[in-house]
Amino acid sequence: MAAAAAAAAAEEEIAVKEPLDLIRLSLDERIYVKLRSDRELRGKLHAYDQHLNMILGDVEEIVTTVEIDDETYEEIVRTTKRTIPFLFVRGDGVILVSPPLRTA
Amino acid sequence: MASAGPGLESLVDQIISVITNDGRNIVGTLRGFDQATNIILDESHERVYSTRYVLVNCDLLPGLLSNALIGSLVQNSAISNKFLSWCLKEGVQQLVLGLYIIRGDNISVVGEVDEELDARLDLSNLRAHPLKPVIH
Amino acid sequence: MDLSVFHRRNKSQVNEKDIIVTSNFATQLFFSYFKELVGKEVTVELKNDLAIRGTLHSVDQYLNIKLENTRVVDQDKYPHMLSVRNCFIRGSVVRYVLLPQDGVDIDILHDATRREARGG
Repeated sequence: MAAAAAAAAAEEEIAVKEPLDLIRLSLDERIYVKLRSDRELRGKLHAYDQHLNMILGDVEEIVTTVEIDDETYEEIVRTTKRTIPFLFVRGDGVILVSPPLRTA
Repeated sequence: MASAGPGLESLVDQIISVITNDGRNIVGTLRGFDQATNIILDESHERVYSTRYVLVNCDLLPGLLSNALIGSLVQNSAISNKFLSWCLKEGVQQLVLGLYIIRGDNISVVGEVDEELDARLDLSNLRAHPLKPVIH
Repeated sequence: MDLSVFHRRNKSQVNEKDIIVTSNFATQLFFSYFKELVGKEVTVELKNDLAIRGTLHSVDQYLNIKLENTRVVDQDKYPHMLSVRNCFIRGSVVRYVLLPQDGVDIDILHDATRREARGG
């Protein structure tokens, strides 16, 4: 009886029925997050909720900016990288979350 | 639900500095607030930050002049320095607003103004780009 | 969260009590987390690029944040808050909070997240 319940619970742990289940499976894994205002994050997922508020560890943030050259009117695309050890991300800025790549 | 969180109770009747989502800075006395952070400000004024010269005392020229334009006017002796200091001010401009109600949705930050520190600020010498608006 | 509960009922039967319970759940995890961090140094980065560092004084269910002993990270660029030492930041304008690493045990955080994923 108890074993059946435990098996059911284990099955529930791995069942993917809705998008957030996929994020649950990424707990303690490195994920990719695309944010508004041309920001991207890669980091280890430590916590999240249904708003996609998150806590990430060992984060690399990449910000992409586009400047227009005053003279040539050419678009200059710049990316700035920084690393943040431990970061809370507010969910309203999240565009997409991608689980770790399983190719390796 | 009792709000044990960061209400604004402790700031009532104190001078506060509000940064709005469109990047404005309004300073005044907090008279009231509610759950949604709507606030009532009394005797308020806006502090307008700029890296440009702002035209005062003169209706002839456009409201804001770029530094480059003013530089070229001075270089070509088109206007005297004396005239410049009469009609152009740099630094932070203060606009009187009076009694203001600000909707919570438009509020980014509410700061408690340390009056001693504030008195020591030389606003006429502070130059900064206006704050960017909040992009949700 | 099991949305089917809401599908089976029609709208008029979703009473106010349910909505309050749901919204309480909504920020419970991070509300609790931030309460644990009170007294620690954090940097709050806003959606207008302003970054404010200070001691976390309090937080509420909207994740509004009150900081003490604040200083703006780039004061030369942003002298707008030079005479402010304590401030209230509206939760909705927060982009990031840069956290101390010694705040809360990672395993506890993982467990709390799984619990929230089941119950919320």
